[in-house]
Amino acid sequence: MSNPSPTPTRERRGLIAGLVLGVPFIAVGVADFVANFDGPSFRSFLRFFIGGALVHDFVVAPVAALIGVAVIRRVPALARAPLRAALFGSAVAVAVAWPELRSYGRMRTPDNKTVQPLNYTTAVATVVGVVWIISALWLVVIIVRDHRNRDGRARPEPSRQQGLS
Amino acid sequence: MTAGATSPVHDERVAARLGLALGITFTVCFLTGLYSHLAQHPSWGFELPARPVGLYRLTQGIHVATGIASIPLLFAKLWSVYPQLFQWPPVKGVAHAIERLAIFPLVAGSIFLLFTGLANINLWYPWHFDFPTMHYRAAWITIGALIIHVGAKWTQSRRALRHQPPEPTGHADPATLDRRRFLYTAFGASALVVLFSVGETFRPLERLALLSPRRPDTGPQGFPVNATAKEAQVITLAQSPDYRLQVTGNVARPLSFTLDELRALPQHSATLPISCVEGWSASRRWTGIRVRDLLAMAGAPPHAAAQVLSFQPGGSYRSSQLNHFQAHDPDTLLALQVNGETLALDHGYPCRLIGPDRPGVLQTKWINHLVVQ
Repeated sequence: MSNPSPTPTRERRGLIAGLVLGVPFIAVGVADFVANFDGPSFRSFLRFFIGGALVHDFVVAPVAALIGVAVIRRVPALARAPLRAALFGSAVAVAVAWPELRSYGRMRTPDNKTVQPLNYTTAVATVVGVVWIISALWLVVIIVRDHRNRDGRARPEPSRQQGLS
Repeated sequence: MTAGATSPVHDERVAARLGLALGITFTVCFLTGLYSHLAQHPSWGFELPARPVGLYRLTQGIHVATGIASIPLLFAKLWSVYPQLFQWPPVKGVAHAIERLAIFPLVAGSIFLLFTGLANINLWYPWHFDFPTMHYRAAWITIGALIIHVGAKWTQSRRALRHQPPEPTGHADPATLDRRRFLYTAFGASALVVLFSVGETFRPLERLALLSPRRPDTGPQGFPVNATAKEAQVITLAQSPDYRLQVTGNVARPLSFTLDELRALPQHSATLPISCVEGWSASRRWTGIRVRDLLAMAGAPPHAAAQVLSFQPGGSYRSSQLNHFQAHDPDTLLALQVNGETLALDHGYPCRLIGPDRPGVLQTKWINHLVVQ
């Protein structure tokens, strides 16, 4: 955020345009709530709507920050991005497959063998394995490039060589 | 992720690029979701066309795939702007207060939509509300908040997206590298979860669908079901010798057929997909009686629509509507067979509706009544 901020007038104009275009969309959603109001389902909706944001801001993000401090900062600088990619990719795979790993759909419809038909422990382990292999290959690429860059910097430039001779 | 508010990834250039990607995926999700909603609840004079055959399959497949792609992008975007949650002073004026206020429904709505969407494709409902209704309302609120956010950040984001950091030595500085690598990670994770899940509808990647809750080749007669015959409580009724299909309503001649009489009628075959709102789809060869032939036999008006009723005792999807495009399409069938075999109980034996470009939940199973309108 080192660049100078745009003029407040421009920003304000953008905000007003956003409000003019965006509020009608919000109104459609809110109007549908009002027209078909149902207390228990609205309370349940609010719990998930607000709860999701709170869980992210005060659980998921702080945990990510802690992992950053506890793990990523402790490895050499070159390995940080691949390690971060491996951890992030693994976390996303587990998050996406969480209902499958917990068999939530299968428990709801035990007679329907077409719901969550795989062994998801093996499936997710395979995906996580692929994530770590890709991250390891990325680390190799970063190390090789870093060595090439160091070699390039160590070698004298041809024009300077000519000037010296 | 790199810790600390001073990390180079907490930067407007990173936030703008992730924001642009999320703006695209959320807009695609909104439009395809709206199409699905209108297909199931026709309104504003909209009538779902019967062609192209695979349009709903495509739009719903894209809806679920872009939703899944958005999950890592949203996590990364929220991380890139996380320090701003604690900025001080929290508001710097009325305009800033409005802008910040609009961020709450945007963030809460985005998380809500992705979480409930992911749960729904897994048939997991840990809440006490109707999923389609709340997903639909939250989508309007979220897209509205997104538009406000885009407006408020338009100038700043354009500048950030245009910004190219100087690289005088030919090599990027560590901070630029860190930002780039963070973006590679976010977009790479997004691509990877799509790669490992989109096979539930995109056949060439079927074997890679390790994160998908459905396999298009798994189930009775080789494809999935959402509601089984046991769950729908139709096992006895479906096998009853008293089964009849009735055609009533706005007709000159009400009709009634036994199963043998239905089998004796002219049969037609069509290759059509079952395209589920949960994102999986499977194409199969269906054989049965054309709905338009039945309408003609009953003396229905030329532009008649029809309601299709199931004999299942309950459930939200025990009936569906065929608009006049669909009712008169040559491939809209009351199917008795799939891939040359009699329908399995779970697939709607003795008779089910199958038509082009319809959500799977409207391909009503266990049919015994056609009401012409």
